[in-house]
Amino acid sequence: MINKYYYLIPFFIYFFSYLLLFSRQKNLYRTFIVLIYSGFIIQSFILLLLINRYSIYHGISIASIIFFNSWILMLVIIIFSLLYKAKYVLIYVSPLAYLTLFISYFAPAADFRTALMVNSSLLVTHILLILLGDSLFALAFMISLIYIFQERRVKLKKNLKIFDKNREGDKKGYKKYGWDEVFYLGKGYNLELLDNMNYQCLKIGFPTLTAGLAIGIYLSNSLFGSMTTVKPIEVISLITWLIYAILLHERISRGLRGKRAAIFSIAGFLMIVSTLALSLYLFPQIHGFLH
Amino acid sequence: MDIVIFGLNHKTADLDHREAVSKKLRTKEARQRFISGLLSIHSSVAAHSLIKEITVISTCNRAEFVMIIHESEAENINPIKLIENYILNYFFGDGAGNDAGLYNMFYTFKNKEAISHLFAVTSSLDSMIIGEPQILGQVKNAYNEACDLKTAGPLLNKLFHRSFYCAKKIRTETKIASAPVSVSYAAVEIAKKIFNSIDDKKVLLMGVGEMGKVAAKHFIKHGVTEIFITNRTNDKAAEFAKEIFGYYGKGVIDFAEYYKILTVADIVLCSMGAENFIIKYDDLLPIIKLRKQKPLFLIDISVPRNIDPEVNKISNVYLFDIDDIGKMVENNLDVRQKEAGVASQIVESEAEEFIAWKSSLNAVPIIVALKNRIQNILNEELGKYLNKNSDDIRTLINSIANKILHDPVKVIKKNALDDNGINLMEAAKTLFNLEQDINEKDETKKDETTRKNSNRDEKSLKIKLIK
Repeated sequence: MINKYYYLIPFFIYFFSYLLLFSRQKNLYRTFIVLIYSGFIIQSFILLLLINRYSIYHGISIASIIFFNSWILMLVIIIFSLLYKAKYVLIYVSPLAYLTLFISYFAPAADFRTALMVNSSLLVTHILLILLGDSLFALAFMISLIYIFQERRVKLKKNLKIFDKNREGDKKGYKKYGWDEVFYLGKGYNLELLDNMNYQCLKIGFPTLTAGLAIGIYLSNSLFGSMTTVKPIEVISLITWLIYAILLHERISRGLRGKRAAIFSIAGFLMIVSTLALSLYLFPQIHGFLH
Repeated sequence: MDIVIFGLNHKTADLDHREAVSKKLRTKEARQRFISGLLSIHSSVAAHSLIKEITVISTCNRAEFVMIIHESEAENINPIKLIENYILNYFFGDGAGNDAGLYNMFYTFKNKEAISHLFAVTSSLDSMIIGEPQILGQVKNAYNEACDLKTAGPLLNKLFHRSFYCAKKIRTETKIASAPVSVSYAAVEIAKKIFNSIDDKKVLLMGVGEMGKVAAKHFIKHGVTEIFITNRTNDKAAEFAKEIFGYYGKGVIDFAEYYKILTVADIVLCSMGAENFIIKYDDLLPIIKLRKQKPLFLIDISVPRNIDPEVNKISNVYLFDIDDIGKMVENNLDVRQKEAGVASQIVESEAEEFIAWKSSLNAVPIIVALKNRIQNILNEELGKYLNKNSDDIRTLINSIANKILHDPVKVIKKNALDDNGINLMEAAKTLFNLEQDINEKDETKKDETTRKNSNRDEKSLKIKLIK
């Protein structure tokens, strides 16, 4: 078994890279990016080792699922930051991935291979889809928070000073570089892009979540032999799914966007967190797939 | 005579109060009414108006009254106070003159301070956006209007021409106008905080003022291809389109149908100069539904405002007025502020030069009287022996008078610039007994003016009767 201490290697790399940002020196943003990518490569390598050693079809520990969740989240963040050229996604959303990584270190490492009574490949697909959907919604959640803060600033016209390109240095004596444009002056945030990213997360995340839930219900059915057995996880999942379904419907049919869409995204993600917290972490037995 | 500036601007007064003043100075007729009211202020002692010359500068950020006023002939009368009270009461109703809050929104500059202030205003050093180019045109317009209304006399003529010269000098000698920071620049920057890209956005320009033109060019520079123009007068909008796009009437929308464009436009720049709100909260609500909640960025640079401030409360609608934009760009223009320091020095030296010229004017009556006196003596004495009507003699008299007075005039003019010069001028008056001559000349001038005025009155009365 891979020692869980390995999980801490990418965690500390991420953590250190984030600390670097606060020193606000020249070229540190580049170092930050290099460190984040290196952390991600190391995390991917550890994940490969995990898959190779235990073979994903023979069962997975809760800790490794959370580790995997952190990896998917990081992957989604990197893809979005590159695709939309939005540095702030990497800066503001990646701490969520570090947190998940940190949690994975403390999560139970018990191999519940024997506890599983269901088709392994379907279970893996179920986990993969749900985690991918959740990661996208986590990203949407953070983007929605940024949106709400930024929208408030635009509405109240606060801290919206236009950045002066001719400015060199300031009273504190350090030089202003590109990074400051992102972090301190809000350059790069624009409401339309934030809303577009939010919508994109929903467009990919919703079908993924739906498919994941459908497989979950099928697995639950085959495990208990009946569709009628209603478990708390299913109720919460259904509510979450409904929130996102309404949001997608409103977006498509009535053009819902902006602040309301952001609030919907936040509510949906909070429901996901409560689902996970209630079912998987706090009371693993009620998830239904474990005896 | 004193040069006095009384006014308010974006630094001293909020938008609501500036709006109140601007509403009463909106049209040429309104300004004319205001000026004739001001000119009717007479002190209890003097028979003439307290104000000799006046120009009204009214822009969206300021209202300033540049005046040449007579010094008070009575000790207990402060002409500036009288004028200030009149102006406050005119704009804010009776009793406003005693309101300390209102009074503090206005500033009064006198002589040197007033000259420096006017030069700074014209050079755009006092603008909300330092270095913006529009103010020079606005001051020129105000001066031209004063010329039309015949309220600008020799002193204001000189003062305004000097201020234009100063503004041009600052533009050429400093980098104050180098960075393209203006309202339109600010508008594009804010738009970038709302929209991902602005090149695919549709812009609606309401009003065809100078600001609209600059903004349109700026948007085009940033890749905007779809610009709609609307104005109360379609012809003006069509002309405007020709100037911007090169095609007469391109993108012009009838003013009665501008709201249709609101359903598709993403950015609206309003500079209509209407007295009331054109875009109202209740009108915009259904439009936002029709737009399927697409964000709408509204910029209202008109004073009085033409877009109801309440619309900012509507979801996905972002309204910025002239003050909001000003607050955003202030303090961030280090380069300009550094240049503004150099520019202020130019303003100061120009103001000093002007004040020197103004002071030298005090010596003119004495010099003229002195010259007349010497010419008269020469005329009288030489006339006893020669034919004084011959041209040669007149030339000789002139030449001798000029030669005698060359050095004294130089000294008097030079000394007129400082306080000691007054003594020298007084000495010249006493030595040559010029007091009487100067007073006589003043009387003749007054009589001429009265005669001219009475003739004018008679003429206007005749015209009225004929009508």
